[in-house]
Amino acid sequence: MTGTPLLRAEGLTRVLSVEPPVTLIRDVSFEINRGEFVAVIGPSGCGKSSLLYLLGLLDRPTEGRLLFDGEDTTGTDGNTRANLRLARFGFVFQFHFLLPEFTALENVTLPMRRLGRLGEREADARGRKLLAAMGLEGQEHKTPDKMSGGQRQRVAIARALANDPALLLGDEPTGNLDSLNSKRVIEIFHDLAAKEGRTIVCVTHDPDVAASAHRRIHMLDGRVERID
Amino acid sequence: MLRRFSLLLGIALRHISKRKRQTLVAIAGVGIGVGFFLAVSALMIGSQNDFVKTLIDAAPHIIISDEIRSPTPQPAVRAFPNAAVEVRHYKTRNEVRGIKDWQGIMRTIGARSDAVASPSLSGAVTLRVGGREEALAIVGVEPGIEAQVSDVEQYLKEGRLRNLETTQGGVIIGEEMASRLGVRMGDIMAATSARGVTRTLKIVGLFERGRGQFGGSSGYVLLREAQSLTSQPFVINRIGIRLDDPYAAEDIAKRLEARYGYKAESWQERSADFLSLLVTRNVIMYTVISAILLVASFGIYTVVSTSVADKRRDIAIMRSMGFSSGDLQAVFVMEGFTLACIGVLAGWGLGFALMQILGSVEFNIQGSTETMPLDRSFFQYAISAGASLFSAIIAAWLPARKAAQVDPVDILRGAV
Repeated sequence: MTGTPLLRAEGLTRVLSVEPPVTLIRDVSFEINRGEFVAVIGPSGCGKSSLLYLLGLLDRPTEGRLLFDGEDTTGTDGNTRANLRLARFGFVFQFHFLLPEFTALENVTLPMRRLGRLGEREADARGRKLLAAMGLEGQEHKTPDKMSGGQRQRVAIARALANDPALLLGDEPTGNLDSLNSKRVIEIFHDLAAKEGRTIVCVTHDPDVAASAHRRIHMLDGRVERID
Repeated sequence: MLRRFSLLLGIALRHISKRKRQTLVAIAGVGIGVGFFLAVSALMIGSQNDFVKTLIDAAPHIIISDEIRSPTPQPAVRAFPNAAVEVRHYKTRNEVRGIKDWQGIMRTIGARSDAVASPSLSGAVTLRVGGREEALAIVGVEPGIEAQVSDVEQYLKEGRLRNLETTQGGVIIGEEMASRLGVRMGDIMAATSARGVTRTLKIVGLFERGRGQFGGSSGYVLLREAQSLTSQPFVINRIGIRLDDPYAAEDIAKRLEARYGYKAESWQERSADFLSLLVTRNVIMYTVISAILLVASFGIYTVVSTSVADKRRDIAIMRSMGFSSGDLQAVFVMEGFTLACIGVLAGWGLGFALMQILGSVEFNIQGSTETMPLDRSFFQYAISAGASLFSAIIAAWLPARKAAQVDPVDILRGAV
């Protein structure tokens, strides 16, 4: 299984069916291997985020195929995609997107409780461990509005890791952070890829993130310009 | 499955606990709706039951009279049931009025443990006191049995029904009649029947004023007395039947009529017009109170739809986390349902309190203190809950569909 790439895009195209039609992504193909840290970079509006939504199964391509772990995901139904996101994917966005009514720990354990693989107590223990790994010990019972921006983003990363995902997708995860916190997030991502073997795909404007990635996919006007 | 349910319910509860004012308004809406539903229906059903009870117990549940609904077929017709028989110019026989073989009917009914029958004979006499004359419809009864069959006894202002047995020639008349004739308890009057028999009658009881059916122009005497006054020995022309279960009257009346041929009228038949009036009344009542409950569910609709609108971002993030669109729809339906459940409980409390208040109001009718008749049956609580929960689910489900339709990409793209 390690031979197959984790993600394989074949001629992905996404056209918005508005009048006149807008092409967000045009004929994009690439492969991403396990344990790789890949940055998607390019100017604003080049389709980086749209590509990420396609890779994260939040959106469906108009044409082309997307293989995750060797399996074709095109044409799968909503529930299958939701279950795949739940068990195998983790998302980190530019804004923390924590649920405001829930504490940090509850936010982190929510995906575990939805998946139901762990019992209440085990989920709690795992949640605490993930938060501690993000340097958030003692913050478990705070609600997001009582935390700083950097702390919230780290809670969001902990939540993305809740169900031990194979693929971590970041959409400008450092876009709203100061340089110190950005640095921490980059370090965390690096460790996740290097030590835990997770695959990370990160859309970013941040040159530091781009520089620290194993590979960079450069995009322009919905196309892949080059990969280095 | 259960864990997933409790997880989604937990999210729903968290949502509603954070929007206290809207939650309270929605709960109050349902609560007031349910409370007034209970109070109004208790009053309406209670008064209806009270009314029907008076209707049922005013007279015997079934009255068999010496009338027939359709003439008995001619012997020739009976002999050739399927033939085309036409009989003309036949002579009508002059039959003696009264129910034939009434002892047989009495035995049939007497064999049932749930029924009591009382035979009676009615006729007409003219009362004369001094220079005054009044026509009186007399009913001859066996006091002991009649008291079990109708509520005559409780309409007596003076005297008792039993006095008819102890006093030779006793009669009970209404107060109105007595004052028209200028007589009082214990006075003696002359009574003459159409057959020319004249007797003296002594007043042994008086009916209350305002009891229409006993009041003005009818009086009770002993059955034997009525038979001899009208020169119809051993004849009776009416059998009153009281049943343990009044609602069986219609069925039993039909069977008695089929068997003996005499007209047997149940209380339902007698008061068909009133009963149809009650049906109309119920239709109106349930229409109005369902409208109250429906309006209450609008509150739930509002809460759930604003909740969905406010939580679009959270919906998107939960979708990205792997919650399915069905999960999110369930969360918002549960929000509405939870509000309705709390509202129903509050409404039950309110309804109970309102009933206590209504039940404690006393008012006077012609000297007797009465309270409002209320129906406090569990059934009313059950329908009010069922109807509000049902409308709440619909009211929550409509906006919750929107939550399921939220496209996470639209939200995420807009937010970034």
